[in-house]
Amino acid sequence: MAKRNKKRKSNIERMTWHENLVFLGPLLFFLALLYGTLMWTIYVSFTDWHTMAPNYELAGLKWYQFLIKQPRFHIDIINNLKWLLLGVIPTATVAIFLAYFLELSPFPRLESYTRTLILYPVAMSFIVTGTIWSWMYQPDNGVINTLLRGLGLKGDFAFLINPKTATYWLILIFVWQYLGFAVIIIQSSFRTTELQEMIEAATVDGAGRLRILFVIILPNIKAGLLILVSLLLISTLKVFDIVFITTNGGPGISTDVLALNMWMTTFQQHLVSAGAGLGVIIFLVSFILVIPYTIYALRKWFND
Amino acid sequence: MTSKSLGAKILAISILLGLTIIYLLPIYVMVATSLKTPEEISQGQYLLPTGTPQWSNYTEVLFGSTRFRSEMITRLKNSIVISFSVTALAAFFGGLSGYYLSRNKSIFSRSLFVLVGIGLYLPYQVVIIPLSILMSKTGLNQSYAGLIMSYLILNMPLATVLLGTFFLGIPKELEEAALVDGASKIQIFFRIVVPISLPAYASVAIIVFTQVWNEFFLALTLSSRNTQTVQVIMAEAKGTTLVLYNLQMAAALIAVSIPLFFFFFLSRYFVRGILAGALKGG
Repeated sequence: MAKRNKKRKSNIERMTWHENLVFLGPLLFFLALLYGTLMWTIYVSFTDWHTMAPNYELAGLKWYQFLIKQPRFHIDIINNLKWLLLGVIPTATVAIFLAYFLELSPFPRLESYTRTLILYPVAMSFIVTGTIWSWMYQPDNGVINTLLRGLGLKGDFAFLINPKTATYWLILIFVWQYLGFAVIIIQSSFRTTELQEMIEAATVDGAGRLRILFVIILPNIKAGLLILVSLLLISTLKVFDIVFITTNGGPGISTDVLALNMWMTTFQQHLVSAGAGLGVIIFLVSFILVIPYTIYALRKWFND
Repeated sequence: MTSKSLGAKILAISILLGLTIIYLLPIYVMVATSLKTPEEISQGQYLLPTGTPQWSNYTEVLFGSTRFRSEMITRLKNSIVISFSVTALAAFFGGLSGYYLSRNKSIFSRSLFVLVGIGLYLPYQVVIIPLSILMSKTGLNQSYAGLIMSYLILNMPLATVLLGTFFLGIPKELEEAALVDGASKIQIFFRIVVPISLPAYASVAIIVFTQVWNEFFLALTLSSRNTQTVQVIMAEAKGTTLVLYNLQMAAALIAVSIPLFFFFFLSRYFVRGILAGALKGG
């Protein structure tokens, strides 16, 4: 009997050559293209291609050295760091409190209203939100300044015109767009039976709400937090659309980011090797950022 | 465990009110501005629902005019063709490979999973140069096929992992019984697994569709005059010409109409899709 079971189990896993081809063929084809283009980009970053015409002659680290000396690259690093910190930490923190608030809210009937309200931006593109927020931020007769003047206030915010603060206003658009998404991820990790029972028990013992949040909830939603933070990190690292549509890197290059630099360097200045180098840098950083998450997902997938 | 005290209620009401303003204002502004004249806008009169609604702004944006040269209707068609094609193909192929990865735990399968996992978060910047070379060499950049192909390459990992995650949760007994009855794996997949996984397919379809519809970087770089998507034309309208804000807002509303429709009317699948998308493998 035991022998028979074993045989059956291996049957469901073992496939004929023909079956393998049907199930895996498309994936292997697309993965080959994906990794082929990835390798191709890495190769290009070590060549000497800096005009319209392709040049695959190897030039070592020439274009990486070019990037390191480029002031624009330094501005990108600082701006991307601002995006990473201010796009991730405030979003995750507010999302935790908001998700907890929705659990505790004295108006449980408003829960689905609130969720829909803050979640709808995930259906919109950054191009659309960027367009709307450009209008909100427009300094002369844009929405926010007009509203402030209507309330009898000064309403003279420069928003995206001031090179020192423009990036912060851009990050605010990102936070606005991703908050609802962050909340539902946190909410879904709240809702395990074990956690609900622990909260129940702590409430009976008379623990305060904030204490419950920090001592019981946070340590028990580590997986949800890992997922959320990884996703936000990647999204802020790759940020391109918002900057492209609102400021296109300006004023000057004050709001430039790595992805925008990559695009302009490659497709406008035709310094293709340097552009490929920027692509490789973005890839390597994102690769490192998702390692903890990938390990988690791999364990979950194969051990469950 | 809800709070009933007065203080808690006041706090709750102010949070809800604040969120309502912050999240409804941009939508309200988009709709209100899209129905105004340029004069009303320059005089700061666009926030109140006064004046005659300028429905003609929408026909201008859709069919083109001297104030809005890039008519949206052809770009809507392009976006629809591209997004629906990618969605259908990614769901079909992703289902096949997701099933393989969920039923096979060999070293080979594990390594494939790692490759797929890295592909999930691959920044488009690291594949765009070869893709644009390939597209222009093969002439595919002039047709939908090029963009569809590129999006498929980048969305296969997502569809594979999402559907695979769902298949992991299906008990294997049914499949084992069918196997004993002499069905082939392909028959088992299409006759048993797919029919009970239709809700998962719906969620995956919605998330892939929304992603492709909203994608900009690849579309900007790889699309030609004939294949431009709505996102690209919006960026063009905003960047190159002095398009008026009322027309920009009308264009924005047209561009978000389809994904927002899915969000409001298929919200269950939508939320499940983005949650699954976030909790991939978990």
